[in-house]
Amino acid sequence: MSDPVLQTQNVKFKYERNTPDVLDDVTMSIERNVKTAILGANGAGKSTLFSILNALRKPDSGEVLYNGSPLSYRKKNINRMRSEVSILFQNPNDMLFRPIVEQDVAYGPENMKLPKDEVQKRVDDALFAVGMSEFRKSPTMKLSYGQRKRITLAGVLAMKPKVLIMDEPTAGLDPQMACEVMEIAEQLYRSGVTVIMSSHDTDLTYSWADEIHVMRHGKCVYSGPAEPFYSDKVEVYLSGLMPPMAFVMNEGLSSCGTVEREPFPRTQCQMSAKIGNSKASAGTLHIIPVEDGSDINALIDDNGFGDMTTGIYGMSARRAQDSSKARIDFVYNGPENCTLKCLSGSDAVLFCDPVMVESARASADYINKGGFADISLDIRN
Amino acid sequence: MHHPGLPKVLDGFDLEVEEGSRVGILGANGAGKTTLFYTLTGVYKPQEGEVLFRGQPIQYTADGLTEVRSKVSVVLQNPDEQMFCTLVEEDVAFSPLNIGMDRDEVEVRIDKALRDVRMSEYRKRPLQQLSGGQRKRVAIAGALAVDPEVMIMDEPTAGLDPQSSMEVMELAEKLHLRGVTVLISTHDIDLAYGWADRINVLRNGRKVYSGNSEDFYSDPENVHLCGLLPPSTFNMNREVSSMRGLSPAPYPHNSCEFLAKFGDKCNAGRIFCVPYKEGTGLSERHAEAAREAGPEAKIGVYGPDSRNALNGERIDFYFNGIDSCFSEAVLGRDSVLIYDEIFDTTVREQAEALRTLGADVRLEAVR
Repeated sequence: MSDPVLQTQNVKFKYERNTPDVLDDVTMSIERNVKTAILGANGAGKSTLFSILNALRKPDSGEVLYNGSPLSYRKKNINRMRSEVSILFQNPNDMLFRPIVEQDVAYGPENMKLPKDEVQKRVDDALFAVGMSEFRKSPTMKLSYGQRKRITLAGVLAMKPKVLIMDEPTAGLDPQMACEVMEIAEQLYRSGVTVIMSSHDTDLTYSWADEIHVMRHGKCVYSGPAEPFYSDKVEVYLSGLMPPMAFVMNEGLSSCGTVEREPFPRTQCQMSAKIGNSKASAGTLHIIPVEDGSDINALIDDNGFGDMTTGIYGMSARRAQDSSKARIDFVYNGPENCTLKCLSGSDAVLFCDPVMVESARASADYINKGGFADISLDIRN
Repeated sequence: MHHPGLPKVLDGFDLEVEEGSRVGILGANGAGKTTLFYTLTGVYKPQEGEVLFRGQPIQYTADGLTEVRSKVSVVLQNPDEQMFCTLVEEDVAFSPLNIGMDRDEVEVRIDKALRDVRMSEYRKRPLQQLSGGQRKRVAIAGALAVDPEVMIMDEPTAGLDPQSSMEVMELAEKLHLRGVTVLISTHDIDLAYGWADRINVLRNGRKVYSGNSEDFYSDPENVHLCGLLPPSTFNMNREVSSMRGLSPAPYPHNSCEFLAKFGDKCNAGRIFCVPYKEGTGLSERHAEAAREAGPEAKIGVYGPDSRNALNGERIDFYFNGIDSCFSEAVLGRDSVLIYDEIFDTTVREQAEALRTLGADVRLEAVR
């Protein structure tokens, strides 16, 4: 059932008179708690759309609806809405307001008039989430671009938004940090936050998003699942995009009968399972939910996991690994890497946050349902 | 290299770049990549050690630096850091004029460079009115206008949409084929894996690896410490090879090689090759090739000149034409590939790489 959290209806917007519309009659519906990607070429209007969704700009005509009600653009209403709908800009320099890291991260929560110790706790948690705890007293200007990007992410996390809009969240980040940002996005989604993301990395959005909206010359030209869009070569070309690699390879292999076309593989390990056609029996994926203070070393010893490949996934799992100094094989992309291990016949154990269990098992479920391998799942509670 | 009172940004750093090679520079945020590039072009002078260009130490005098900069161009990650002028054409002219090129020659260079990055129609426009992606292309045009012998690009595809990224990589390949040494730093490990002959990995201001990609990615501990992740093609090849009981080598680097290694073996299709020379007609040859290849054959393009010369002809793969047409061939289907003639070498090398993976793709010349 449709449950839109943010909608635009016939929105038009231009920056200056006598220039073309940057948004030209955009009607779009963003569903509550659906992982949503906004795609399009440079200059298609994505960032402008975001500023309209966040009420930073007012449409020249048309309406923006939040939870079904049109935005009123009165200061009080806008402030309330912005405490729930946060935006993370592409360029961190556009959103650092205060000189010291911890002050900057506290900016949002303080504006929300939260009690002091709550602000403090949120700053702590947010800085840990982005791996920047040790920089809390640093001047923001002395940080590198990637570090500043993390600080701005901490700033929006500290506001605990209900809707988070992320404009190119991984651009300029190294591969590991990009991976952590995607993990944070997944965790927010699993915690009930609606996450909307734009990215030029079509492989990344393909593996993550459930629904895509494609912008072209200020219009929304497609809304729906990714595959029907990427199947239409002309539309993809006109939109300035390229089909994701997993999609291209699956199309190639299915066109000559090596594999069935569906189910569509969206990640490395789904793709590997589908074409690997393994004769060996797959291993067991142990998924162990952990909390902040869990002792991972003890969990490994008590369960006899000592010889297994290990991975972590999620915020609490990261904290637990940090405090127990456990040696972990896959600190990044834990679910994918552990599932790959199982495919090649070994067992693997993944320590993850309780809310992340569904995400952690997604690839194994895909593989088992598709009949590509039979990975045993051992999920502890 | 370091700032007084701060840790060294580059520390005991030795690097050798082979003339004419495609070099990837990898490392986490803050590893020292950008500082390295500034040092290589003489913008920063090392506090200790030397930078040699073709065996000679760089002279940090006006003449010495002009000499380096007439041969070595750099495109910074953030285009705004290297734009000094108001109009597009002035900005592209900046470096050529700076190294003392005469005005007529500069005009020719501006034309050519802007055409290469598909920005000709913006020649008289103020830079301020351009989008980030467009400014990036102007910055690349400015570097091309010097006609450099070494091209250094810091995150050339960051912030660009997928098609613009493909165009930038086509340009990099074109420079390579003209004999230019190309250095690219990028966080896009899949891109570097498909492109570079050799990678240099930086970590905390030191070079910790120099060599081919496979040896580096085969050492997960080191990859992890360097803030990197293995490319998806590398990962999938390792896993699927092990599931199928195959050796990981030969390593596929792109889709067509991957399909050749793991697809059902079949008789490879033919590629009807149309190398395009600027200024010649393309429509007739397109029609001829399409006739020879048959109505089912897909048609792909590679290279800015060919793409510009098209005029409404049917095309299936506007970008990534080489990989796409070879994928078709590997899957047993004929196709037509139109490319700028300089890419002849790239096409032949791709056919050769596929042969080692067991796919014998026939290249048919279209007269």
